[in-house]
Amino acid sequence: MHPIEQFQIVNFFSLGHLGGHEIFFTNSAALMLGAILLLTVFLVGGTAGGRLVPTRLQSMAELTYEFVATTIRETAGHEGMRFFPFVFCIFMFVLTVNIFGLIPYSFTVTSHVIVTSVLALVVFFTVLGYGLYRHGFHFLNLFVPKGVPSYILPMIVAIEVLSFFSRPISHSIRLFGNMLAGHIALQVFAGFIILLGGGLGAIGWIGGVVPFAMIVALFALETLVAVIQAYVFAILTCIYLNDAIHPGH
Amino acid sequence: MSGFARGFQLSSELVGGVVVGAGIGWGLDHWLGTSPWGLIVFVLLGFAAGVLNLMRAAGVVRQRNLND
Repeated sequence: MHPIEQFQIVNFFSLGHLGGHEIFFTNSAALMLGAILLLTVFLVGGTAGGRLVPTRLQSMAELTYEFVATTIRETAGHEGMRFFPFVFCIFMFVLTVNIFGLIPYSFTVTSHVIVTSVLALVVFFTVLGYGLYRHGFHFLNLFVPKGVPSYILPMIVAIEVLSFFSRPISHSIRLFGNMLAGHIALQVFAGFIILLGGGLGAIGWIGGVVPFAMIVALFALETLVAVIQAYVFAILTCIYLNDAIHPGH
Repeated sequence: MSGFARGFQLSSELVGGVVVGAGIGWGLDHWLGTSPWGLIVFVLLGFAAGVLNLMRAAGVVRQRNLND
């Protein structure tokens, strides 16, 4: 099996035409919808009771709330809490689809750069829009560092602007690249077992224990990466939002 | 964080800057017909922005803020 076959988009059924293109409901869309349904059930179920002594589901929901709220307060301050729903959605969505991707025969939504770049662009335009709305043209001072001699200022401003505009790229490539590389590595090691067994017979299958042990170790690492990358994506969102909220701090 | 993730993070910062610079330069050349000067200038600026991003992400220089 080819290592990148797992990233194949499969069309399930057509949703109609839009601008001359046929829009399909794909395996990617199915997993995104599944993630949203699961999160809705989890959060609605977790908050429906509202008991003083929480049930297991309620304490899990409270734990995720506390975790994201602490992250936002630490990186974007108390005012950052107005973006709590936004950051919470992004974090929970990325986390859930990352973990769905670990299920064998499943599909990793975040291993497609189009998904992560749309998420990163939403963050980017939120930062830009809110910064301009909140601070007006004062927000543009973000690109003009103080204490720079005027003869090199135009160049510094150009570099700062380019640095700002390159944020969505590194923001999206990081999540996409980590998920893609991890899943390819898993598939390559799985391929080694088949190659050994197919080529050398019984000795090969015994030798296949080595790559199999690698897969177990890599899978544990990938589980960690799935959670960490969701967290990194959320924390970077907070750091970028912090620029829009407190450019003068 | 694993070494791979760290490496990927830092390299994406650098590549991001260069890609944005090249994109803007190519776009300007395309619209204004200044080829190849837009591309040359903006790739160089983009490279500088990438290095700046890289150093900020690595914590070598301070994060940008307005009171600097």
